[in-house]
Amino acid sequence: MAPRLQLQSLLETITPRVYFQPPTNITIEYPCIIYERSSSKSEHADNTAYRYTKRYQVTAIDRNPDGPLHDKLAVLPLSDFDRFFTADGLNHDVFNIFF
Amino acid sequence: MTVLQWDQVGERLYETGVDHGVLYIPDSLGDYINGYAWNGLTTVTESPSGAESSPQYADNIKYLNLVSAEEFGATIEAFTYPEEFAQCDGTAIPEAGIAIGQQSRKQFGLSYRTQIGNDLDGTDHGYKLHLIYGATAAPSEKAYATINDSPEAIAFSWEVTTTPVGVPGFKPTAQLVIDSTKVTAARLSDIEDILYGDVGVDARLPLPAEVLSLFTGSTVAVNMVGANAPAYDDPTDVVTLPPVTGVQWKINGVNKAPGAQPALTAGQTSYVTAHALPGYRLTGDDDWTYAF
Repeated sequence: MAPRLQLQSLLETITPRVYFQPPTNITIEYPCIIYERSSSKSEHADNTAYRYTKRYQVTAIDRNPDGPLHDKLAVLPLSDFDRFFTADGLNHDVFNIFF
Repeated sequence: MTVLQWDQVGERLYETGVDHGVLYIPDSLGDYINGYAWNGLTTVTESPSGAESSPQYADNIKYLNLVSAEEFGATIEAFTYPEEFAQCDGTAIPEAGIAIGQQSRKQFGLSYRTQIGNDLDGTDHGYKLHLIYGATAAPSEKAYATINDSPEAIAFSWEVTTTPVGVPGFKPTAQLVIDSTKVTAARLSDIEDILYGDVGVDARLPLPAEVLSLFTGSTVAVNMVGANAPAYDDPTDVVTLPPVTGVQWKINGVNKAPGAQPALTAGQTSYVTAHALPGYRLTGDDDWTYAF
């Protein structure tokens, strides 16, 4: 299974509503996780990129500011909490996850 | 007389990069047979030392300046290392998957390649092959750290000291460098076939004398297939080494003269290797294994 699909499966254990780079014409239900590719990290050896890891920006969105998504995402390996903000009455927790 | 010019087109040279690391383990006679690819090589820092001046004074003047011997040392950094390097890092492997530390450290040889660039060709202008002899790795720390939000592989590092080997006509050395932009393509191909192996011929590290003979004179190719290959007589379990000009035979790492060898007995295995003498190079094959 491709790493991205593994991440999808992992996030679906946190909430069934997981969207990867969703198009604007779909209806998003909350609480949910929306994630997208953000960057990558390469380590070089032998004059080439020896190891390469993709980074995803994972956003947990919940009407409940005390919802469980934040805590579950925060304990994932390679997870780093970036910021929190509210918009349209929704609470957003943004994480960066290497996977 | 011509006027000096600086930074002409094609003369803006620089060096960069490191790759094609190969580890060589010496046999009981000090020949660096059996090369192993060293993956994940990130840095080789050459650190020569010594050559320190010791001024001597007499007659109220600086009378002479004695200079101490120069030594070659290096630091190797890599994400991983060949399994065969374990014996050079004080680790014995009595059984597959079992490693015992704090054992004696075996010497090793190393080769690696660095790029030569210029303003016209970029880093494809050429490269240097660095050959290191008589290397001994010092114990080094391995910092295993928790996985965190920034994935990083452990960078292993080894401090290496060297014992020089003899070079005809020169002082003993532990380092030899071959510049691809200065030698002929044919000779470069020959040395790379030796360093990296070829079809049927294992990678090995030639000693400086052999390298010099390769570049200063013409080498004779010896095809080790057919009549030049060892023969094994199954009914008598006798290995016969043919006399081949330019070849030194070894069985299980020990020099052998051509001719019929003592018959193998139950459970014995004979690992026969052919080694090119200076001025010769082997093609086709260079090792054979016979079991009782």
